[in-house]
Amino acid sequence: MDLFQLGGYGLSSRLILGTGKFSSTRAMIDAVRSSGTQLVTVALRRFNRDQAEDDLFGPLSEIKGLTLMPNTSGAATAKEAVRAAHISRELSGSLFVKVEIHPNPLHLMPDPIETYEASRVLASEGFLVMPYIPADPVLAKRLEDVGCASVMPLGSAIGSGQGLSTAGMVSIIIRESGIPVIIDAGLRSPSEACAAMEMGCDAVLVNSAVAVARDPAAMAGAFARAVDAGRQARIAGIMPKSGTAVATSPLTSFLGTP
Amino acid sequence: MRNALPAWLTDEQLSSDIVPMLDQGDAVSLEQLAAEAQAATLRRFGRVMSLYAPLYLSNFCSSGCVYCGFASDRKTSRRRLESNEIEKELAAMRSLGIGDVLLLTGERTGAAGFSYLCRAVDAAAKIMPRVSVEAFPMTVAEYRALAECGCTGITIYQETYDPENYRELHRWGPKKDFLERLEIPERALQGGIRSVGIGALLGLSEPVAEALALARHVRHLCQTYWKAGISVSFPRIRPQEGGYQPAWPVDDRFLARMIFAFRVGMPDVDLVLSTREKPAFRDGMAGLGITRMSIASRTTVGGYHSPDGAGATQFEVSDNRNAEEFCHALRSKEIEPVFKNWDPAFNGPILQEEVACR
Repeated sequence: MDLFQLGGYGLSSRLILGTGKFSSTRAMIDAVRSSGTQLVTVALRRFNRDQAEDDLFGPLSEIKGLTLMPNTSGAATAKEAVRAAHISRELSGSLFVKVEIHPNPLHLMPDPIETYEASRVLASEGFLVMPYIPADPVLAKRLEDVGCASVMPLGSAIGSGQGLSTAGMVSIIIRESGIPVIIDAGLRSPSEACAAMEMGCDAVLVNSAVAVARDPAAMAGAFARAVDAGRQARIAGIMPKSGTAVATSPLTSFLGTP
Repeated sequence: MRNALPAWLTDEQLSSDIVPMLDQGDAVSLEQLAAEAQAATLRRFGRVMSLYAPLYLSNFCSSGCVYCGFASDRKTSRRRLESNEIEKELAAMRSLGIGDVLLLTGERTGAAGFSYLCRAVDAAAKIMPRVSVEAFPMTVAEYRALAECGCTGITIYQETYDPENYRELHRWGPKKDFLERLEIPERALQGGIRSVGIGALLGLSEPVAEALALARHVRHLCQTYWKAGISVSFPRIRPQEGGYQPAWPVDDRFLARMIFAFRVGMPDVDLVLSTREKPAFRDGMAGLGITRMSIASRTTVGGYHSPDGAGATQFEVSDNRNAEEFCHALRSKEIEPVFKNWDPAFNGPILQEEVACR
C-alpha cells in the first residue's frame, strides 16, 4: 500500500487540511470527514477552552484516526513560535508542529530566518517539525539538515488562490529533498493539487479553497480525489513531454549504424 | 519644519487607486464594488468575523473635543473603575464569551494616567486572550511598557485629517496639536505594539478627502513599519452629551462605498465596524469587507457587571443586540463569530528592527 510516511507515521491520505476560515465548526468538521484526511492543522489562536462555540480543537480531537498538527500562526519571531509550540503540545498532546512565522501580519509571508531558528530548536526537542517556508531550495535543505519531518513550501501567498506559481523552485526542492515535500498555501482548485502531486510533491495542504467554497464538504472530497489521482499518475509514470519534433531525415544518419 | 505637514499626507500617489472607487456618480458601480469587496474578503479572511468589546475604564478627561460626551467641560459625573471593579467587569465580559477587550480612557489625567492604565492592562491580560487600548498618547517607553504588560494593539484616531477643522474641534488640552496626534500610531509601533487601529471620525470634515488621507496614512504606516498590523475603523458621529451636529454628515451609501474601496485597495488590512452602526447596516456589511466587529458594547464607564446606574455614555450605541442575538445574525449569513483569535503566547513587544531571536 502506498502510505505517506511522515515522522514515523504512515498515512493513507496525502491531503492535509487547514481548519480556519470556515463558516462554522460544523462545516469544518464535515469537510474534514469528507476529505478522508488523517492530518489537520489548527492554530493555537483558535484553541478556546472556555468558549465551546468557536473552539476548533475540542471537536477535532473527537474524530477518530485524525492527528492534529498545531500551528504557530500569530508568531512573529522564533521565540514566540517556540513558546506557542510548547503550549500547543501541552494542550493537544501532539508532537507535530507546523512552524508558521510571519512577521508581517498583512501578507503573511513566512520569515526564513526566524523559521529556520525555531525549527532547529523544536526539532532538537523532539517535535515533528513541519516548517511553512518560501519555495527556496537552499532553505529546504538547511531545514532537512536540522531534522525537520518535512518542508512545506508555499505555492503562492496564503489565501491568494494563485496556484502553484512557485513550480520551478518547488521542482528543485522535490528533486533534492530527502524528506517529504508538502505544498502549503495558494492552491485554488483540485486540478492544481493534482498537478502538484504529479510533479512529485508528497502531499498538499489546503485551507481557503475548501473553507470558502459554496459547499466545503463537497470541495474537500474533490480535492481528496484530485490528490489521489495525481499521486497515482506519478507512480504510474507520466509520459514525458516530447521537446522537439523528430526529423524525417535523421540528423545523425552520417554516423552510420552501430 | 515642525509645522509642515508630513509628505505622505499630501502624496496623491498613495491614494490614487482609491479615488475612482469613491466616486458617487455611478449608481451601478456600488454594486460592483460590493461584489469585489466580498470576493477579496472571502479570499483573505474566509467566512469568519473576529469580535471584541470595549470596556470604558474612566471618563475623566482633560481635552475639549467638541464632539465628545466625555469632554472636560461636560457636566457628566466623572468616575473611574477601581481594581476590584475592573476585575468584575472583565469577568462579566468573559462570561459573555468575550476574549478580546479594548480598554478605553479619556485624555491623560491624574485620576487615570499611565500607571493606572498599566495596572488595568495587566489585570485584563490575566483573563483575556487579547487586550488592546484606546486611551491617551504615550511616549515610546510607555508603549513599550504597555506591550510588556500584555497590550497587543493601540487604537488612536486622528479624528480629522483636515488641520484647520482639527484646530477648531479640539479646543484645549494635549490633543490640540494636529501634527503631534499624527505621530502617535508610529510611536506605538516604535514601542513594540503589534497592531495599530486608525480612523477618521466621519462627519467632522469633507468625507472624500478624509478617506483619501486615511488611505495614505495606512500605506505610510505599512511602508515604514513592515511588521505592523493595521486596522481601520469607520466611526460616524453619533448623538452625544453636548449635542454636536456633524458638519459633514456621512450617509450609509457613502460609508459602504468607503469600506468597499478600502477592502479592494487594501485586501490584507482588518476593517472594523462598531456598535455605533445600526443592526441592518452591520449585518449587511458583514462579509462585504468588515472583518472585525464590536459586540454587546457598553459606552458607559463599566456597565457589563452592573448595567444599571453606570452613568453617562461617550456616545449612543445603535446596535443594542446582546452577544447571542448578534452571533445568531452572523451565523444566519454563514459567518462564524470568533471570540478568540489570538493567544497570549504571542504577547510582548515586537521590535520593528528585530532579527533572529536566539
